Amino acid sequence: MATKKSQTHRSQSPQVDPVVLAALGVLLVAVAALMLVSPSLGQQGVTAAGGAFSMGQLMVAFVTGLTTGGLSCLAVQGGLLASSLAHQIEQDYLQNPPQGKKAKDKVQPQRPNAALPILLFLSSKLVMYTLLGALFGWAGSFLTFSPVTRAVLMIAIAVFMLGNGLRMLDVHPIFRYFAIEPPKFITRYIRRTAKNGTELFTPLFLGALTVFIPCGVTQAILATALGTGSALAGAALLFAFTLGTSPVFFIVAYLTTELGARLEKFFMRFVAAVVLVLGLVTLNGALNLLGSPLSFENLTRSLIPSSGGASAQAPSAPSSSTGGITLEVRSNGYFPQTLKAPAGQAVTLSLVTNQTYSCARDFVIPDLNYYQLLPDTGTVSVDIPAQPAGTTLFFTCSMGMYTGQIVFE
Amino acid sequence: MIKKVYSIPDMHCANCSMRLESIEDDLPGIREINASYHKQQMAVEFDETQVSEEQILSAVKKKGYQALPIS
Repeated sequence: MATKKSQTHRSQSPQVDPVVLAALGVLLVAVAALMLVSPSLGQQGVTAAGGAFSMGQLMVAFVTGLTTGGLSCLAVQGGLLASSLAHQIEQDYLQNPPQGKKAKDKVQPQRPNAALPILLFLSSKLVMYTLLGALFGWAGSFLTFSPVTRAVLMIAIAVFMLGNGLRMLDVHPIFRYFAIEPPKFITRYIRRTAKNGTELFTPLFLGALTVFIPCGVTQAILATALGTGSALAGAALLFAFTLGTSPVFFIVAYLTTELGARLEKFFMRFVAAVVLVLGLVTLNGALNLLGSPLSFENLTRSLIPSSGGASAQAPSAPSSSTGGITLEVRSNGYFPQTLKAPAGQAVTLSLVTNQTYSCARDFVIPDLNYYQLLPDTGTVSVDIPAQPAGTTLFFTCSMGMYTGQIVFE
Repeated sequence: MIKKVYSIPDMHCANCSMRLESIEDDLPGIREINASYHKQQMAVEFDETQVSEEQILSAVKKKGYQALPIS
């Protein structure tokens, strides 16, 4: 009996209707459009309002959405989508009641309309989160984030992510408190809307309501949007991220309606692992931003002196007789990663950018409390006071992504 | 109107509480359901003349959970 059931189920699964293919096509076009538009965003500098913002960050947001955001959001917002789909299926059922006499005909799901509500739901979600990103970016423009504030924010986000990852793996009941439960009046309102709404309105409205139940990864991106300090940058960031979540969300949501909650449980473990990794990466970024020798990069550099890679072999000795040292700031990091400077005397550090558009431009030396948004092309000099021999000054970008060090000897 | 509290050990996210609370729309006679993922519990206030405890437990089972009476 059970075998029969599973066979029936399996025979239904491989169907792919044209609406799904069309939807995937639209998404691919949207991705391509984003990739075309984003470099110009980076070059035209959404940096005006104070935060360095580039295509690199947009791509990170997009890839984060594509890899973890979609699954994480699905875990939190899947219920809303399921409500939306349930309503759609119910309506289809009422409009086209099964007419076959065989029991097999009766269990045939109303597949062809399943993709439309998912698309409406995701479109609405995309619009709402873009607006929310603009709101957060705008709110951030009233706040000034020093590297330390940003590091503290990142540590809070990392703790939140690590807690959520451990919660998903059910390590200890205490981690359940990392999950945010939306107030009951909101969930009840959403639920009843899902039940009584109209065919098109319901998924649109439910998609919009997802802003009230953002998943952990979305909350992290919202915090980043706050840090950009620009409405346009915040909107672009959330647009890229939510667009990134869409394909995974779409595919998994589509399959989930077929395979049920078991699939969600299976994906939860995968999401948990990715969220844990992301949490550790965020924590590492915060340590870099604090100039801590305990970050992964700074630890490996001190344990394995040659880990600076090929770039460290480049002459990093004083570049002129005046005791100046030069650091090349490229879009993909700082070169060389280890600079050597004479101890006991003031040194001038020249930061050279040449069409640099990543967050590497937002240069930070935590121990000197120095941070500066560098021009995309040009040279900026930093006066470093005399340091005793053996001192290591770490430097990083404002995201804690790109790092390096100056060793005084 | 009586109130009963159940332990729901299978809840794995905040969304589960939304799913369980939706039972209040499905069964007549239920005044309110408060489910908590944090506590892994569900409190149901219902009119036993309109709905039985068995019906509630069956509805919970249909949602994919197991309810164990606490009070």
